[in-house]
Amino acid sequence: MKEKLERINDFEWLLPKKSRKEMRVDAKIIANKSIVDAIEDAAVEQLTNVACMPGVVVPVVGLPDMHWGYGLPMGAVSAFDDKNGVISSGLCGFDINCGINMIRTSLTAKEIKERAKDLVPLLFQAIPCGVGAKGKLRLSPGQLDDVLVDGVNWAVDNGYATKKDMENTEENGCMKGADPRMVSDLAKKRGVPQLGTLGAGNHFLEIQEVTDVMDKGTAKSWGIEGKGQATIMLHCGSRGLGHQVATDYLKIQEDAVKKYKIWLPDPQLACAPVDSKEGQDFFAAMKCAVNYSFVNRAVMTKWIREVFEKVFRKDWESMGMETVYAIAHNIVKYEEHKVDGKKRMLYVHRKGATRSFPGLPVIIAGTMGTSSYLLKGTETAMEKSFGSSAHGAGRAMSRNAAIRQFRGEKIKQDLAERGIVSQATHPMSLAEEAPLAYKDVESVVDSVHGAGISLKVARMVPLGVIKG
Amino acid sequence: MKYRFIDDLTSDVMFEAYGKSMKDLFENAAEALFSVMCQTDRVKKTVEKEVSVSAKNPSELMFNWLQELIGIVDTDGIFLSGFKITKITGRSLKAVCTGEEADPKKGKTVVKAVTKYGYAFRKTAKGYVVRASLDI
Repeated sequence: MKEKLERINDFEWLLPKKSRKEMRVDAKIIANKSIVDAIEDAAVEQLTNVACMPGVVVPVVGLPDMHWGYGLPMGAVSAFDDKNGVISSGLCGFDINCGINMIRTSLTAKEIKERAKDLVPLLFQAIPCGVGAKGKLRLSPGQLDDVLVDGVNWAVDNGYATKKDMENTEENGCMKGADPRMVSDLAKKRGVPQLGTLGAGNHFLEIQEVTDVMDKGTAKSWGIEGKGQATIMLHCGSRGLGHQVATDYLKIQEDAVKKYKIWLPDPQLACAPVDSKEGQDFFAAMKCAVNYSFVNRAVMTKWIREVFEKVFRKDWESMGMETVYAIAHNIVKYEEHKVDGKKRMLYVHRKGATRSFPGLPVIIAGTMGTSSYLLKGTETAMEKSFGSSAHGAGRAMSRNAAIRQFRGEKIKQDLAERGIVSQATHPMSLAEEAPLAYKDVESVVDSVHGAGISLKVARMVPLGVIKG
Repeated sequence: MKYRFIDDLTSDVMFEAYGKSMKDLFENAAEALFSVMCQTDRVKKTVEKEVSVSAKNPSELMFNWLQELIGIVDTDGIFLSGFKITKITGRSLKAVCTGEEADPKKGKTVVKAVTKYGYAFRKTAKGYVVRASLDI
């Protein structure tokens, strides 16, 4: 399928709908040539599969971190008409609202480095992480429902977050219309013990140093003062609750495909008409998982602040530990976009893709040991990618292959030699997340900047890493 | 061989499990699953968990069994290393699983779900085979 790609410019490649009989719309890949050359053909084919779905709106977009996924590649965005389109659990991803919170500080990298050997172990103790880690909160079922409906409002009311945190969160930390009745008992049972846990895999807590500021004015308005400033990034999602919501509705939507006689080129693209019960029930349940994830990260943010207070013996406010922004990168949104010059309401599915709205922060996390970026959204993103951008580096190697190839102890040592203090539940979790198991984040960020869908504001590198 | 891993995906894990009987197959598939989630050789058998699963057919039963086991790590906070199917038909099973309280130091990778990618359940001349991929 890749042989059918047509170059539009250095960062955009068209896969016209004539490439395949069943395609209703064009697909597009936003990436530089070296990334395009390395993308798996199977992932490109997956983009064309989505371009065959009912009510799909042009174009289906692959972003520079795209790689093969379940139905739709990770690192892709697709939008559907709000009357004759579909809504799909699989096009959102299992980890609903996996996303990133970025926190600024007024501390310097030098201050962090001097205390990293105390800070990192204390953060590791304070933030439950790893498979099987138990959360510290004890919620009743009623309280969980409040979390699902109220999102970060609950965190503010219960002392875990501030109003400013909430304002600097996508959707103000709460998607309206969340209905806990649409979330299964099993999903809730999985979610109750896990609120305030980091998880494992590619989830992390990272203390960082700003090394470059490319857009001083925007950076300053977001609290990024300059080189040498310490920042924090927290990457996590909706844990077992979100995974179960996604699983439950994949099954429901597999039945919906038969019921509504929807032809699909790949059964993994199970979906339901947007105005069907199966479609709207999923949307309401997904919003619950979105809100849960925002609260999950808000709770951990509080504990991060408390550890910093303990180590630096100042309150967090005087250390300027404010949320820069909190974003989602696996989500379905009901948004207005211009298509062929006309405004339309669309169901935008971002799977491993970040919202990139004009003037708002975009966060692209690098892999362990590599750079992360803060960028700003643009009007160009609204025109080219339904206001979306990349979310990270994208895997280049399976976890099993990474565990066989890399040794966790060696990676820890390599990081230490570069001045990065790391702590993980066991060496394997460092091995599976080895930097060489991922694509090059610099190339991903150069691509989104070059295509104009999000523009570089600042670059950060890690000083300390905590992994589950 | 009870199971083996197939390395073809950059984002997921895929395994094939085998069994002369349905009982063997389901026990081996569970072992394969938990070998991804934790260091099963270090997980003691101090806690017992009874599991019941039903489905429309054997293929769906296997899928539901694996999905149920994934949820147990979160709902019960335990890792499992022993699996004994006590009753199995083509549409339901009962099992007694053994393990211990989950310790992240003995954990490996979070498994979000079983997926339908490449999912295959079949009877062979030697017994049964299932191929399943896990979203991790």
